Amino acid sequence: MNIQTSKESSAMVVKVTGRLDAVTAPEYEQQFTALITGGETRFVVDFEKLDYISSAGLRVLLAMAKQIKAKSGQIHLANIGGAVREVFDISGFGSIFPMHESVISALNATAG
Amino acid sequence: MIKIEHLSKKFGDLVVLRDVTIEIKSGEVISIIGPSGTGKSTFLRCINLLDRPSGGAIHIDGVNILDPKADVSKIRQKMNMVFQSFNLFAHLSVMENLTIGPVKLLGLSRSDAERKSRDLLKLVGLAEKAGSYPDELSGGQKQRVAIARCMAMEPRIILFDEPTSALDPTMVSEVLSVIRRLAKDGMTMAIVTHEMDFARDVSNRVLYMDEGCIYEEGTPEEIFERPQKEKTRAFINRIRSFHYHIGTPDYDLYGMNAEIEMFCEKQILPMKTRQNLLLIVEEMLQLYTPWLRTAHLDMTISYSEKKESLEVVFESSGSALNLFDNAQLPDELGLTIIKSLTESIDYQRLGDKNRLLLILKKMVK
Repeated sequence: MNIQTSKESSAMVVKVTGRLDAVTAPEYEQQFTALITGGETRFVVDFEKLDYISSAGLRVLLAMAKQIKAKSGQIHLANIGGAVREVFDISGFGSIFPMHESVISALNATAG
Repeated sequence: MIKIEHLSKKFGDLVVLRDVTIEIKSGEVISIIGPSGTGKSTFLRCINLLDRPSGGAIHIDGVNILDPKADVSKIRQKMNMVFQSFNLFAHLSVMENLTIGPVKLLGLSRSDAERKSRDLLKLVGLAEKAGSYPDELSGGQKQRVAIARCMAMEPRIILFDEPTSALDPTMVSEVLSVIRRLAKDGMTMAIVTHEMDFARDVSNRVLYMDEGCIYEEGTPEEIFERPQKEKTRAFINRIRSFHYHIGTPDYDLYGMNAEIEMFCEKQILPMKTRQNLLLIVEEMLQLYTPWLRTAHLDMTISYSEKKESLEVVFESSGSALNLFDNAQLPDELGLTIIKSLTESIDYQRLGDKNRLLLILKKMVK
């Protein structure tokens, strides 16, 4: 797994790549928690390079959202497509998280 | 007419036939099907004593032909064999191929033998080829001559050993239609074949051979529509399977995924199907994880080429456990994903095992 972060004016952009599954989920969770405890409250998660997600990955997003909400922050998702999109649709996650076509529009939404 | 009891055949240490018992009645047409190397041809060759059986008994009209005192050449006249590779006498004309046996072994006069042979050649549609030599004939024609030559000996039963396997696809049907015609005329036949449609509509009884014995037998309808035993089903539905055993909660998900992908690749399954399969397997294993410390899990993925269906069976040891009825799940996420990708989920308690069968939804093409 590989996480890249970049700090934008309105939010922290987190790029997830490869697979978000039972094997990689604990590491993702750790890194997200570290960012949140480090003071970040506004996030844009970029899914463009994510090929696969399972329920273990969805749980990481839920846990992350919970922590962010506790700090009155925001989480927006961008570039969700293909197989990942289908899992979002099946599980109803599409209606839980605000989803955007691009990182730019997600950032705009966070700023607003 | 023919009663075979506990027939066995070994070549050195190699056991080809373990224990075959069957009775063939006059007028029956029996097809023998099964994977290659399971003793089908050896079985025919043993009946005809081309291979000497290692054990058991073969009674023909009440006479045990394995008795050292039995008159083998006389017994062989009662049955005749059609081979995959025709085995015609290349230096003799078609007519001579047909008459040599009746003249030399049955004591027929040449003119009687020729008259009869002409009738037989008409029967197989080759009257005009009486003067030709085998080299001048196509594969299908050669095999029809071989069948006519068999009939010339007036056998009580004909044994066919993959009669169409060496033929071009275009010539298969002419040979099969000759065999069909003999079946209609009431000829007793045992046919080893890979032509499933043919076996289905020509025979009264089908023997599925595997592991050196008759693994399952029944009417064509029983064997082709409702095979009861696992290997028969796998053969009839052209099922390929992949097994994976998990004995620890620290199983190697990626190692297993790679093997599943390789299996899918071999079956040429579409990308989408592979992704769904991998997702279902991961979600299922997540559900099983709490139990993997004490229970073992066996997973079998099966793809039926005939039905184009993909199913996954999870068999776990330990006390009764239906994951889908379990109230201890952390959330519904895994379950929701699995349910939306499957057509059906079926739980059974079998002996001391739990069995879950998942059938994947078919991809819309």
